[in-house]
Formats: sequence, structure tokens, C-alpha cells
Amino acid sequence: MLRIVASASRPSSVSLLSVAHRRNLSSTSARQADITLTVDGKEVTVPQGSALIQACEAAGSPIPRFCYHDRLAIAGNCRMCLVEVARSPKPVASCAAPAMPGAVVFTNTPLVHEAREGVMEFLLSNHPLDCPICDQGGECDLQDQSIRYGSDRTRFHEIAGKRAVSNKDLGPIVKTSMNRCIQCTRCVRFANEVAGVEDLGTTGRGNDLQIGMYVEKMMDSELSGNVIDLCPVGALTSKPYAMQARPWELKTTESVDVLDALGSNIRVDSRGVQVMRVQPRTNDNVNEEWISDKTRYAYDGLRFQRLTTPLIKGPDNRFVTASWPDALAAIAAGLNQTGAKGNEIKAIAGHLADTETLVVLKDLINRLGSDNLASDLEGKYGNAPPVHGIDVRSNYSFNSTIAGVESADAILLVGTNPRHEAAVLNSRIRKSWLHTDLVVGMVGTRADTTYGFEHLGEDAKALEKFLSGKVKGEFAERWAQAKRPLIMVGSSMAEHADGEAVFGMLARYVAATGERIVREDWNGFNVLQRVASRPALYETGFVPSRAATSTTPKFIFLLNADEVDPASIPADAFVVYQGHHGDRGAALADVCLPGCAYTEKSSTWVNTEGRSQLGRAAVPPPGAAREDWKIVRALSEVLGVDLPYEDLVGVRDRMWAISPSLVRWDGLEGTSLEVAKAGLGSLMSNFYQTDVVSRASVTMAQCTRAFVTREKTSLEGLGKEPLQAHA
Amino acid sequence: MSFSKAFSPALREIRILCSQTGAASAGTRQFITSKYPAIKQHNPDLPVLIREASGTPARVFARFEMGVEKHVELDNLSAKDVESKVVTLLGS
Repeated sequence: MLRIVASASRPSSVSLLSVAHRRNLSSTSARQADITLTVDGKEVTVPQGSALIQACEAAGSPIPRFCYHDRLAIAGNCRMCLVEVARSPKPVASCAAPAMPGAVVFTNTPLVHEAREGVMEFLLSNHPLDCPICDQGGECDLQDQSIRYGSDRTRFHEIAGKRAVSNKDLGPIVKTSMNRCIQCTRCVRFANEVAGVEDLGTTGRGNDLQIGMYVEKMMDSELSGNVIDLCPVGALTSKPYAMQARPWELKTTESVDVLDALGSNIRVDSRGVQVMRVQPRTNDNVNEEWISDKTRYAYDGLRFQRLTTPLIKGPDNRFVTASWPDALAAIAAGLNQTGAKGNEIKAIAGHLADTETLVVLKDLINRLGSDNLASDLEGKYGNAPPVHGIDVRSNYSFNSTIAGVESADAILLVGTNPRHEAAVLNSRIRKSWLHTDLVVGMVGTRADTTYGFEHLGEDAKALEKFLSGKVKGEFAERWAQAKRPLIMVGSSMAEHADGEAVFGMLARYVAATGERIVREDWNGFNVLQRVASRPALYETGFVPSRAATSTTPKFIFLLNADEVDPASIPADAFVVYQGHHGDRGAALADVCLPGCAYTEKSSTWVNTEGRSQLGRAAVPPPGAAREDWKIVRALSEVLGVDLPYEDLVGVRDRMWAISPSLVRWDGLEGTSLEVAKAGLGSLMSNFYQTDVVSRASVTMAQCTRAFVTREKTSLEGLGKEPLQAHA
Repeated sequence: MSFSKAFSPALREIRILCSQTGAASAGTRQFITSKYPAIKQHNPDLPVLIREASGTPARVFARFEMGVEKHVELDNLSAKDVESKVVTLLGS
């Protein structure tokens, strides 16, 4: 089973591009005609090329398995999935056998039962009987299947005792207990195919087969936690969760991850008021069934450094706990005292702000007469409208969709390292890179991506050179012929001095290539957001106006804004922090309001594609913390601002009026071609109007009309306007 | 009032909601393609949020000072009617 990736070793250099076409012995076969076969007397139709086990599943006959997994290559080494096929002398491993037309399959005959019992006996002969102290207990495939298919006694007695295997150190996440390993090699296949850790493998054979790195090495992958889910026994378990809980004690809640902008679907397992673990939930459109290690293991951070009561900074600069009415009154007093008017009232939204709260806060700030709705982008970039604009959704979204990445045949990464910004998306690129002829080019800081790429340069100049066709090389050649080229711009480009130039350059390039990159069935212009709140921020129009950019704020409301630069906050400003952790933002504040973390509130999150998903509360908030939108709503009452909603339904009605896609949970609303093009058009930086003077100039406006927008305006109109302006 | 001039500074945000493909939004879409560049050109700093969602009734919202919002329904209107409706909304 290790053949699959053997021909494509871990790439980090350019030369590997040239072996693109022989990365894999087999590539995904084209979908072919359906075939019909009989399983347990039931006729079933499956696509040609399906494994027998899939046909049996489709017929409703469950097949026990350890090594077979839908998303991994087929190994066929556990032999648990044996079935009887008519006119076959021996039982057949249904995962490794193709479904043949007209085959007659039995999954419930004495022969099959005996075969499974035999296999189970062999597996258990070397498996320790430590279920009571094994973390997998209760969700162990071996346990479940031995109850159902196993024998009640063993005939196998080894004088030397059971096989003993030394444990491996795979890092701070995966705990190993290799005595329990049944050599299904799911972890090996996952590491090699999906995660790109090609060091994990097998040594020895037969009874001596061992899983490991051969040399002592940690599993250096941001997806390593997934091997714990894949392991059907307790050989690989979770270190942070070790001995913490049993599965039957846990309450499960389906929710959405917010630690990157992918919106991975997760299942939050909680006991009482504590989140005990986070597991992936299958969603083929988003995260398949993988999640990154940050998503999976950051939950213990929800127990520390929490804000549990409202805090007011006293005269000696120390926080004093306060009641909710006192804290809100202190804010109202602070706002009065600073005398902040209009744009001097500023809100800064941080990484973990949910959509409902953004909407309520925007309404509140707007009604106070301000448009100063900043975000904590790197440096000062959050204080100005983002360079990509927010008018059209496709200007800041991942338009090709996450699943659509797999159909791209050439990817250009611009200022992004998807491995760290969206680890699960990165595994999709690797999957596509392994199975198809995909070529990847990168402009930006060189990174280890788990797939081969051609590095085209580090800066905007290199991008310009590439886009103008002056770069020769295999990637440039293949890019030029690509049917579905995909440009992936990192969201950090909006926080970079060259950002405007880069976006302008790309927009002009997309326009110049006509139908190649943006057309009816393919939008290959993508911005990869890396922060959960940003797509919602842009979707709701939570950006500062140009006039607000230059105002010195006197009253600042930090909503989960912890990445904000302390130097950008004037010393005499009154600062309110609302959030769940006492971090940088709270340190700056005069009043702290304790909010909910993402596992404690039911709120909407928009991912980088623009897909809105509903997170659900798994545990109650700690102490006096309250749901975030309610805090802002209560504050509005104290400030004497009338907001037209009182419950969650009202807030969501308001969201519907802002953008209907916000309340179309789980669905994905695309952008129509004309609008996407109009959006790209606004990105093309206009040579004639780049600053206040040239924008005010009538002559420059005429030049723009003539040379940039190429509007057909009558000459008379052109002649008259300057006269009126001068008059 | 027309689209070839900067709008009043009291206008803070325009939001156009429509369907990507629906027939009822056809006029609004046409309005966007024909007038959006001009609006943007004369009001480069005014957010004109175009928010599409399938089957949603076409509407335009205008936000003025102090968070005052007004809107008009644009369903089943031709591009010309959409234009006049938007002009009255923005002028109000």
C-alpha cells in the first residue's frame, strides 16, 4: 500500500515539478458507467471501479473493517472485510476486490462468519487485554467488532507472552501505545497521502511489523491529530485528552471551528461546564473529515485566562470587579466624559468576533453618528478600508470554493502559506497534487507546503514579472495552458505596503486574460482569509469610512480585538474591551466586559468562501459572562440608543436585511459573473485618481472617464462640467 | 440628482440586495452593471455593498447619518425604474 506515494517523495524543490505526471501509479479514474451486482440477494447498482465493500455498504450490508477507509488508499491487510463471492474458492477481501458486474456476494453466511471469527482471533491473540485502562474504550472498533464477530475464547497461547512493541514519541499530541497496534496502517497512509509526513512507515514483516519513523522523530504535521481518529484501536490516542473522560460521559454538540477562516465542522464534546475535546465532523464541502491540530487541541485555552466578571479600572490602574449595571454605567459615563462625537467613537473588531455581535455593534456605532469601524489587521491597515474593497463579495472571498480547489489544474499562490493559514485546505491541494497533473507556483516567502511548487520570487516585482509573461519555466508554460487556473491571494496582502499594487495587478491580469480565469463556470480569483471574523466583517460592511481613517479616536470599543497595536490607541482615549480572554486587548481597557467563547454561544460564522455556518453552544459561559450580542444590545440601552431588535430572531432578521446569505446557513451563495467583474474592475487602481488632489481634479476625472472606464459620454457634457465647477 | 456627481456627504452606505439569476432582479442587475462604475467613480469612498443571494427580493438600502436607514423594493422593475427609485431614495 505504500506504493502510492513512493514515486513522489516529499518535494521542496523546483525540480519535482517535472515528475508531476508520474507522482502516482494510479490516478483517480474517470467516472464510468454503473454496474449491477447482487449482495445478499439484493440487487445494487454502483459506479464501475467501486470496491466490493462500497457495493455492500450501498446494499445495506455492513462490513466490519479495520484498514479500509473511504478517504485513504486501499491496503487490504486486516482481512476483516472478508465476504463470500459465488464461484470464488476462498473468501474475498471486499475492500481490495473490485465490484464486478453480475457478481453474487454473500456477507452473512457461515463461511464469512467463520472467516471473520478467525481473523478476529488472530488480531486479539497479540492485543493486550487492557481495555479498562485504554482511552479508546467505548469507541474502539476492535472492542465493538470483537463483541459482534469474535469468538468467546482463544486457542492461541504463546509461551513467551504477547508481542511487545516499544512506544514511539510522536510529539505533544499523539500518545502511542504500540502494543495495541493491529497494523492496519491507516496512520501510515494518512501521514503519507494527506499530511505529507512521509517518514511514518512500517518496518519488519509478519508478526514483527512495526509502525514508526524508524529513527526517533516527532510527527511534524499540523494535521497529526487526525491519526487518532483514524486509529481503530487504542494504539494512537490523544495526549491532552489522556485519561480525561469516557465517551459515554460526554455531551456532543455540533459546531463550527473559528481558529482559522475555513469554518471546519467540529463536534464539541463536553462534560458539565468543560469542553473535553473537539473532534471533526464530516463535511465534504469544507473539511472532508480532517481538522487541524490547532482546531482540535486549542480548547484547553478556554479554561485559562478567562474574563468572568465585568471589570472597571480604578484610579490606581488596577481592575476592580463590578456588576453589569455598574460596568455599563461606567462606559456611558466614560463616553460622556471624553466628549467623543462622530468618528471619534471607534470600534475595533478582532479575530473571534461573531457575526451577530458585529451587526449589533455596527448598528450601535452608526447610530452614535460614527463610521469608524476598524479591525485589528496588521499595523495600521485595519484603520482604513481594506485595499480589496468590500463592495463585491468575490473581491475578498475564496470564489473557487474549497472543494473546487481539487478541479484546478494550476495554482498560483500569492503571499500565502496555506499550510499555516488553512491547513485542511492545504491537504486538498496535496491530494490534487498527488492524483492529478496540478502544478503550483508561489510568489512570496518560501515555505514548506507538503507539495512541490515553483518559487517565482518573493515580492510584487516578481509577481509583475510573472504576470507579464517574462518568466520562463515549466510552471509558466503549464499556467498558460491551464483550463482552470486558480490564483490564491493571501489575506495578508491586504496588510502589506504592496497590497494595493498586487490586487490591482492581479485584477488587470484577470481582465486581460478574458474568459480564462473568471467565467461563468469558474472563478479562479481567490482571497484566502485566515481569520474567522474577517469574511463576516466585510460581508456586513464593518469597515471604516475614509473620513474616519484620519480621526483621532476618544472612545474605543474593542470587540475581541487582541491583535491590536497598543501604540495605535491614544493614551487619553476611553477604552472598552469585550471578549472572553484577558489578553492584550483587556490590558488596554478601562472597562472589560466578559463575553462568550465560540463554544459557549450560538452564533453565525462566515468562512473564507462566504459560507455562513451556525456554531452552537456546547457549554455555558463562565461566571457572569454573557452572550456577546446581548452585551452590546444592553449597552445600547444604557447609551440611550434605540436598536430595533430585542431577541436573536430580530438580530437575524436584521442580518437578512444586510445580506441574505448570512442567514442561509450551510449554503453557499456565489457571485454572479457581471458583479464579480465589476468588483475586479474597482480593484484596478486608477492611475489618474490616487489621492485627494487628483480625485478632486475635474480634468483627471475626465481622463479616467476616457481612458479607464471608457464611458461614452457626450463631448458636450464633458465641456460643460468644468465650467460649472469653476462657477 | 444623477449618478454622475458625488452624492450628499450625509449618505454613508448603499446596499443593493438581489438575486444572481432571478428574473425579478434582472433590472437591478442591469442597474448594477451600468451604474456601479459611475457611482464608484464619483464616490470612491462610499461603500456600495452588492450582496447577492439566490431568490432574494431585489432591494436597495441607503444609510444616512446617525444610522438612519431607508430602503426601496426593486423587485420586477426595469433598469430605468430601478434608477429612478434609487435616485429618489438617495435624494430623500
